[in-house]
Amino acid sequence: MTSNASENTFRVLDPTAQQSIATDGMAERPQSLKGMRVGLLRNDKLNSEPLLDAIYDVLADRFEVATAYRINKGDASRPAEPDLLSDFSNEVDVALLANGD
Amino acid sequence: MTDQPSKKQTPSENVSVTPPPRLTSDLLDLPGPLESIETYFENGWSDGLPVVPPTPEAVTAMLEAANLNPDAILGIEPVKGAVITAEKAAINAVMAGCKPEYMPVVAAAVDAITQPEFNLHGITVSTMGAAIMVIVNGPITSDIEMNSGVSAFGPGYRANATIGRAVRLIVMNVLGTRSNDGLDKATLGHPGKYTWCVAENEEKLPESWSPLHVTRGINESESAVTVVSGLSATQFGEHEANTPEGILDAFAQRLYPMGPGVKQVILVICPEHAAHFTKAGWKKEQVGQYLYENSTKLTSEWIAMGLPSGAQKDSSAEPSTENSDLPISVLDSPESAIPIVVGGDGGAWSAVIPPWSLGSRSKVVTRPISTNR
Repeated sequence: MTSNASENTFRVLDPTAQQSIATDGMAERPQSLKGMRVGLLRNDKLNSEPLLDAIYDVLADRFEVATAYRINKGDASRPAEPDLLSDFSNEVDVALLANGD
Repeated sequence: MTDQPSKKQTPSENVSVTPPPRLTSDLLDLPGPLESIETYFENGWSDGLPVVPPTPEAVTAMLEAANLNPDAILGIEPVKGAVITAEKAAINAVMAGCKPEYMPVVAAAVDAITQPEFNLHGITVSTMGAAIMVIVNGPITSDIEMNSGVSAFGPGYRANATIGRAVRLIVMNVLGTRSNDGLDKATLGHPGKYTWCVAENEEKLPESWSPLHVTRGINESESAVTVVSGLSATQFGEHEANTPEGILDAFAQRLYPMGPGVKQVILVICPEHAAHFTKAGWKKEQVGQYLYENSTKLTSEWIAMGLPSGAQKDSSAEPSTENSDLPISVLDSPESAIPIVVGGDGGAWSAVIPPWSLGSRSKVVTRPISTNR
């Protein structure tokens, strides 16, 4: 197609919407995992728990992390409740999430 | 076509400086309709089929038919907070091939799918891959010539085909839930994601039965849409049973593979089967009551079937080996069964629409259609 604007006389509308997304930026990365409290947030699916536990075991073995803090958000299809996330963030220094179908 | 666009055209590259009154969406200036169709393909704005180019004039006509301002908010998807305006809905409705008089149905469908209990985000991004089934009731179904009879789920009727398609294009384009580069992560997908819209065959309802929208709280004189997150339909023939009990027993055989404790499920009853409910004088509520009481399996039988299983396991009545002789119903309650009558006169073919997540995490939603906003 020759892209001559003067020949483009058929007007049509963009069907998409640019949704405004609030960005808070990334949390500060820890310099070391040693002694960090590790949060394991599973999404209620069957394999999310063993997957997170397996990753935690590797972290514990290699980085001397502190104990794990495990919670289940209770519904894979919806975001975690704010109160649950608030409590979670108070209990952990770093967090892992998993979707384990 | 020989003069297709050679590269992706974006609004920023080809924007008009003077948008028409009222509409605020970006404009693309293109050589003609065929080039527009190709551009929409290339921009990922199509469902894989050609779209009708949404000109400002066509979109304005769509909005005027529903008496909607372009900036009217038809719905907000609760998880992302994504706003669906009347303008964006109308653009996608034009693209789907809707006539302006279909717009009130599209608007009501957007209202319905964005209700929190429908869990639109969950059903559209899930690997389970549900499609949105739109069921239309009331006077508008005849006004816009919707098909509720022969091959009601099949092709050939513009209102059925394009209203369902408009809902999908809105989900794809406004909410970003596309399968190629978007949020739709379905493992298998669903043909109903192209379009899935039907009218209930209210003329063939058994005597004393209310149409679906009336059962769900809307006045009979009004029109309404009901939205369902459904997996692929399970059609079955039952040509021998001539009693409600026999027909419902056949339904039960198609419910059992879902496992125990289904919370909501659409039962599509064909007119030939529906006639037996009239003959026997059955009320509508007896359907769910009969299935709840009689469609049971012992705990040990459910376990032997491996049910509930996988991702459904957490949302079902979970059998325990400790009480293996306890009967558990396939339905969570009598109200879990939602019967509708659809289809042509000939043939004893009914169907079950298996629900996403056993009906536990996405609820059937009914909203009125406003033709005079």
